[in-house]
Amino acid sequence: MRFIIELHEALLIAWDAVRANKLRAGLTTLGIVVGIVTVTLMGTAIQGIQRGFRQSISVLGTDVLYVQRFDWFINSHAEWLRQQRRREITWSQFKALERQLNSARAVAPMVDIREAVKYKNRSATGVTIIGTTDQFLVTGGVGISEGRFITPEESEGGRPVCVVGAQTATNLFRGEPILGSRVYVGGHPFEVVGVLEKQGEFLGAFSLDNQVVIPIGQLTAHFVPFPDYTIQVKVGDESRLEDVREEVRGLMRKIRHVQPGDDDDFAINQQDQFIKTFNRVTGVIATVGLFITGLSLFVGGIGIMNIMFVSVAERTREIGIRKAIGAKRRNILIQFLLESMCICLFGGCIGLALAAPLTLALRRLMPATMSFGLVGLSLGVSLVVGVIAGFMPAWRAARLNPVEALRNE
Amino acid sequence: MSLIRLDRVSRYYRMGAETIRALEEVSLTIDRGEYVAIMGPSGSGKSTLMNLLGCLDTPTSGVYELNGLNVSEMDDNQLAEVRNREIGFVFQTFNLLPRATALRNVELPLIYAGLAAEERRQRALEALERVGLGGRVNHKPMELSGGQGQRVAIARALVNRPSILLADEPTGNLDSKTGMEIMAIFNDLAATGHTIILVTHEEDIAHCARRIIRLRDGRIASDDPVRK
Repeated sequence: MRFIIELHEALLIAWDAVRANKLRAGLTTLGIVVGIVTVTLMGTAIQGIQRGFRQSISVLGTDVLYVQRFDWFINSHAEWLRQQRRREITWSQFKALERQLNSARAVAPMVDIREAVKYKNRSATGVTIIGTTDQFLVTGGVGISEGRFITPEESEGGRPVCVVGAQTATNLFRGEPILGSRVYVGGHPFEVVGVLEKQGEFLGAFSLDNQVVIPIGQLTAHFVPFPDYTIQVKVGDESRLEDVREEVRGLMRKIRHVQPGDDDDFAINQQDQFIKTFNRVTGVIATVGLFITGLSLFVGGIGIMNIMFVSVAERTREIGIRKAIGAKRRNILIQFLLESMCICLFGGCIGLALAAPLTLALRRLMPATMSFGLVGLSLGVSLVVGVIAGFMPAWRAARLNPVEALRNE
Repeated sequence: MSLIRLDRVSRYYRMGAETIRALEEVSLTIDRGEYVAIMGPSGSGKSTLMNLLGCLDTPTSGVYELNGLNVSEMDDNQLAEVRNREIGFVFQTFNLLPRATALRNVELPLIYAGLAAEERRQRALEALERVGLGGRVNHKPMELSGGQGQRVAIARALVNRPSILLADEPTGNLDSKTGMEIMAIFNDLAATGHTIILVTHEEDIAHCARRIIRLRDGRIASDDPVRK
């Protein structure tokens, strides 16, 4: 109770002192303001990049394994050379895996190439042509917005049908009826049976909507007779990811006749690897950012410390009076600490107020929102700077000799 | 038992290589309800004595007992508590907090005593009433005359019901008419049983008291009752 009364009083005094020197307090907080703006923008940007990244790679699917010849991330030149010697993944290997793997929900082969696509006199170049089976609808996590996907019967050969991506559809058809029309992929005619849902971009680099999906049999017949397959394995349940991964690994070793004791001559990639690599990068950015932010907060803190020394000097007599009528050291200490914290908190609030519109500007580049956690962190950091910067002046004030303080004019 | 007992109290200051003997083995007792004036030319040690009596300072040697407590060996925080509880200060320059109202100035000792808001307000209002300032409780020191300012200071000194009122040249910054009004308050307080110690160099102010202690060169030169 007593402590609350003292705290309340100290808060009143501190608030009063800040109000009495508004301009001074405002100028002093500039360093803190800059620091807090940096903290929040940094945090927002990193969170934004992360969110954007996660959104982007979510098309890979959290529970999808990509069995491929190469690893997504190769860390050394020697490793790269080693992987270059690996044999391709063939159709028969895919069929073997598909047949033997029971624990996965779906398995699909996938080969992609770039080709020009024509409709009437319009053409689109550099379109991703994906050759796959009906299972791709499950493993690729794509949806159909119009028509249907390729059927199991169509998958391995037969009819030249195709499903076009959302962007390709808009570019080529411009509102004309799509289903049933004929497009030419690399000069070969295909009948459009469906349109994929819009998927967005992958890592901001290329559009996932500028693609045409054709049966794998058509792709090998017209374009690449013996492609290097990617096998997508949809686990269907994230908790079984590791088990399935092990099973796939064992089966692939057997299928590809890898001798016991030899290293795998294929890779099983998953979304996780992207996230790990990416987190390393953002970690570095965050560390550098933290250093810069720390520097501006340090400079800001020195400014606060300075002004607090001035405040103590100006109010030496007041300290003397307070001590004479019974203020203990802790009363004076708390009074000045709170003053310093008030100034810093004030700076923190200004910083947040400035960071808010800047965050909106940032939103043009990435999905940035200023999170509550970040606001809390900023205010917390302001308060900590206030305590650290205010401590020395407050301590000096608390230890003043009342006789000498009262003599001060 | 006496309220104040000084036993061979000395206070030395170091000024570079020199030691200034501000008080030299002063022994003194003051009883509850006494009205004492301490006089002496500047440099006689009266400010030092007042600082010691007011627990703002501790003696270099000797024993100071206040209300049965050995004050001479207390630390900073204990002294603050004793000052808060036992002593009411009235200074020559009033020493009010300029940005606080009269009421808040008077409440201040109660805040450090840890009293709740309602009780503080009640007691501060009573104290202000007592010095005749019931109507100006929300004025700031700048808006008050010198005499009124000193009344606020007296109210602040009284509000914690201390054992001693310690007044250091309380009329020094006032004209003689206002000064006499302030002295009338002290006389009135003395008549109702308060222990008052006045530090002054003015004879007629000192003669309000019932006992005059004269200091010279850090020692007590004379200690006589006032004949009226």
